[in-house]
Amino acid sequence: MTSPRRHFAGCLLVVLLALAVVPKANAIPAFARKYGLRCSACHETWPILNNFGLKFRDNGYQLMNDRDAPIWQNPSYWPVTFRITPIWHRVSANTEVDTYTGVTAAAPYGASAVKSVESSGFDLSGLDFHTGGTLEKNISFYVLPSSDPTAAFHFETVMARFDNILGTSWLNLKMGRFELNNLLSEKRMVGLTAQGGIYQTYHYIPVGDANIFGQMGDNQLGLEYLGHSYNDRTRVSASLLSSNDGNVNLIMGSNSYSTFLTFDQGIDTGKLGVQRIGAYYWGGEAATYYRTSAGVAIPGSGIGNKGFYRVGFTGQLYLGPHFDLNVVTQHGSDNAWFGQGYGNAVNTNGNGATTCTAGIAPLTTSGCLPNNTPGTVLPVGSRAAIWNGYTFEARYVFNPQMIFIAHYDAERMSQQANGPGYTGLGPTGIAGPSPSSLGNINLWDVLFRYNPFMSSRAGMAIQPEFTVFQQTGTGPTNPVTGLGTTEHSSELLIALDFAF
Amino acid sequence: MKTHYREKFLALAAAVALVGAATVILNRKVSAAGEGSITGTVKLSGTAPRMKPIDMSKDPYCVKQHADNPATLENVVVGSSGGIKNVVLYISEGLTGNEASAVSSEEPSFDQKGCMYIPHVLALNPEQKFKVVTSDQTGHNIHPLPAPGGGNIGWNKSQPPGAPPIETSWKAQEVSISVKCNIHPWMHGWHAVVKGPYAVTDDNGSYTIKGVPAGSYTVTAWQEEYGPQTQKVTVAAGQAGQADFTFKAK
Amino acid sequence: MRKESIPVSALIGVIAVIALSIASRAQVTTVQEQQWLNSPAATSHVHGLTGDAQRAAMNYRRYCVGCHGDLGDGNGEVAPWLDPTVSPGNFRPRDFTLGVFKCRSTPTGTLPTDEDLFDTIGRGLDRSNMPIWNQLTNQERADLVAWVKHYSPRWQSEKPGTPIQIPPEPQITPDRVKAGQDVFNRVQCWKCHGVQGMANGPSASTLQDDLGRTIAPYNFTAGDRPKCGKTDADLYKIFMTGLDGTPMPSFVDNIKPDEAWDLVFYLRSLEHPNKNNAKEHEIARQLGLKPVNPNP
Repeated sequence: MTSPRRHFAGCLLVVLLALAVVPKANAIPAFARKYGLRCSACHETWPILNNFGLKFRDNGYQLMNDRDAPIWQNPSYWPVTFRITPIWHRVSANTEVDTYTGVTAAAPYGASAVKSVESSGFDLSGLDFHTGGTLEKNISFYVLPSSDPTAAFHFETVMARFDNILGTSWLNLKMGRFELNNLLSEKRMVGLTAQGGIYQTYHYIPVGDANIFGQMGDNQLGLEYLGHSYNDRTRVSASLLSSNDGNVNLIMGSNSYSTFLTFDQGIDTGKLGVQRIGAYYWGGEAATYYRTSAGVAIPGSGIGNKGFYRVGFTGQLYLGPHFDLNVVTQHGSDNAWFGQGYGNAVNTNGNGATTCTAGIAPLTTSGCLPNNTPGTVLPVGSRAAIWNGYTFEARYVFNPQMIFIAHYDAERMSQQANGPGYTGLGPTGIAGPSPSSLGNINLWDVLFRYNPFMSSRAGMAIQPEFTVFQQTGTGPTNPVTGLGTTEHSSELLIALDFAF
Repeated sequence: MKTHYREKFLALAAAVALVGAATVILNRKVSAAGEGSITGTVKLSGTAPRMKPIDMSKDPYCVKQHADNPATLENVVVGSSGGIKNVVLYISEGLTGNEASAVSSEEPSFDQKGCMYIPHVLALNPEQKFKVVTSDQTGHNIHPLPAPGGGNIGWNKSQPPGAPPIETSWKAQEVSISVKCNIHPWMHGWHAVVKGPYAVTDDNGSYTIKGVPAGSYTVTAWQEEYGPQTQKVTVAAGQAGQADFTFKAK
Repeated sequence: MRKESIPVSALIGVIAVIALSIASRAQVTTVQEQQWLNSPAATSHVHGLTGDAQRAAMNYRRYCVGCHGDLGDGNGEVAPWLDPTVSPGNFRPRDFTLGVFKCRSTPTGTLPTDEDLFDTIGRGLDRSNMPIWNQLTNQERADLVAWVKHYSPRWQSEKPGTPIQIPPEPQITPDRVKAGQDVFNRVQCWKCHGVQGMANGPSASTLQDDLGRTIAPYNFTAGDRPKCGKTDADLYKIFMTGLDGTPMPSFVDNIKPDEAWDLVFYLRSLEHPNKNNAKEHEIARQLGLKPVNPNP
């Protein structure tokens, strides 16, 4: 962006912010309308839940005051909230660009150079319709049709839940497609940039790995048991999920299930607040082969299940009412077959391409995936992909309408899928074992979110955000060494987030 | 001839002494109290509003108590000569500090009888003890509602049949504290807490405030519907000052 | 590689927002309130903790101000929208400036103890819009008690009442349940609560609270817990201290402490059966207890 345009955008920001100093008004989306509570009662900042909101959700969106069933509500109450987020952003990434100098027959567009490519402009973040609450006392539901920026809709959440079965808070059963029971939930992230709007730890897949399952940030299909103590200090959950990353129509395969177990305990530390420490385990299997028909993988025919797991600790540490630090650690492992690109019928090639040419050696960029041919053996030197990830999110709450968040993700491979002895082409087109740091990620994200008003009828937030993302080995190839360089991208974003 | 001067002198001396003693005695009485009074009548000009009969069907006991003589609301009770009953008279200006803080030693009763409060308006000094009693065989609750922030705090106590009296007092001046029974919603009375001497008008609208030292005062008459009215009055020692009031019917 | 840089004006904008927003933080709204906030009354002592009102300011703004208002007078932003038709008498938030509270262990007309307020915050008020704030730490609750106290001038000059003495709870026996029914009849609870405790007594329909708003008596057969907690001792305190601000009086002058437990047991037998009142229901069934007949 040229200098004058930058100044314009900056000045626009200042004007918007100056207009934003409006005293608090009244209103409540959905739940606030029902109960008369402000958004900040349940949300540290919408949509992040605080301890009270977590208890409300764990009770099945009920305050447990015998006024939760829909018959007690004013007939004009309608449990729907909309969320739209128009944004302006500028994205910059290093990429190979053809330079049109030194044109030769071999290089008809000239030598490639690595340049930082920038694009900017106004954009959309998609549209969410939230509707949820109670169907009856102790029966809850949540439906969230969500569209991407192109208005392609899918069901982000569709679930029903039986709460307080047999009168105890230790028995709750949820079924459908739902948000996983993560203390630090990606569905409630405030970040809006492409890389900063997800927790890298929840989505990390080693380069070349075809196991799209194990992504803790996504909503999953299955059955969840949740138990919690009366004041929600102790929480335990066990879910049975299909290995399809929440995709419907059984496209992935049969008999591929995983289990997701969580536990967390809140500890009362007086003036500091409640400290939560927890742990989680996600283990399961997913298919690595698909039967074929005329050479094309048949969705839903998955066989050759192989295992994977993710395990780690979580922490939600409060230092007084203003500051809290959230930590998630992960030790992840995918079976060697996944590391070699097996599995994932959605991606028939496993390497990212969606077609293959018969006769070309397997595991080349356009060769047919061995996942279409059962009986294939793993190449020499293949190993399980193992990594460790860490997410830190620090939040400073100036007041319930103003929050500052800084978020850092680190992913570090400890064992690459293509180990010593491997002779084939790696996922980045380089032959031989993968460099030990291939796929490592660093992400920094800072944002500031201000709600000029936040009442029980609607809310609005202004959010400037800046993200820097680095991944080792996935950047443009260094022509001298033949190795991938570090992919580097950054994004500056200003959003106006509306919920009503 | 001898005159009976000695006898005459003695008789005269005795008479003088007697008169003098009487005067002294009488004067002592008057000067010891130094007190006069304020008296008068409170009348209503215009047509008296009709007081509606009370539907006591919520409680058959109450209905039975009034079988011969149905009860009516008591907001404005006007006698045959046009005098208003239950008007509180008190001295709002002119009392010295000591006079204003004197607390009457009487301990009046506030009775619940026939599901009505008797008296309908009770006048009291701050800190003056009074008793809440019940003469009814049906349960009541006694629930005074003083204005918030005025120094008097409300309370709410039950008085089932046969309950012992509640002895209590009010801390601060307040004209007036609304008293009600939640069980019998028509029951409504007033406690007018005033400093200094006071009186409440009778069936004829007449009153006498006793024990008023000589001086100039402002007297206030307060009626629950029509509010307060003031008048200046001067009381000579041992005499009765006159203050008549007229409220206009709405 | 070109170094990334943030537009300077955008940075200024962000700083401006921070500055403006800090300036708009909730402040105490009157001079007098500020004085009370700094007074000794704005502390609490409960469960061995000392609560400080200033520490509670952020939590009050987050959780409470929407209903109870900046001035603590129950006129929060959502108060006008709370629906009065849903549960009469249970919709308005408490006005702290009056110093009048329902759930106390102290006699009618007196201030509650710090522990009474602490318990109300952590317990919520059933069938009302007051949530159960038991996720707050004890210290946070103690601080909020201190904050609540700074709103009313009564705490500046008055001490809380002396909590009533509650004798230890005796065993539930048929004699006691029957005696409890006699108390229910003698002090005429049925006038408002109805002979079966269904809030349909002859005086129920005209009840008004201290501010003249329609209010309903407790319906023993509905809901899970009475207003001030679900233990037997909580029920004991309700009729032995009265619910100030409402038509429910204190019966402490008319019911002896031992008789009060009898009444508690009888009241439990009127409730919808649950695991807490199983014994009382069993006894009532065995005795063949019928509702009292006020007009024999």
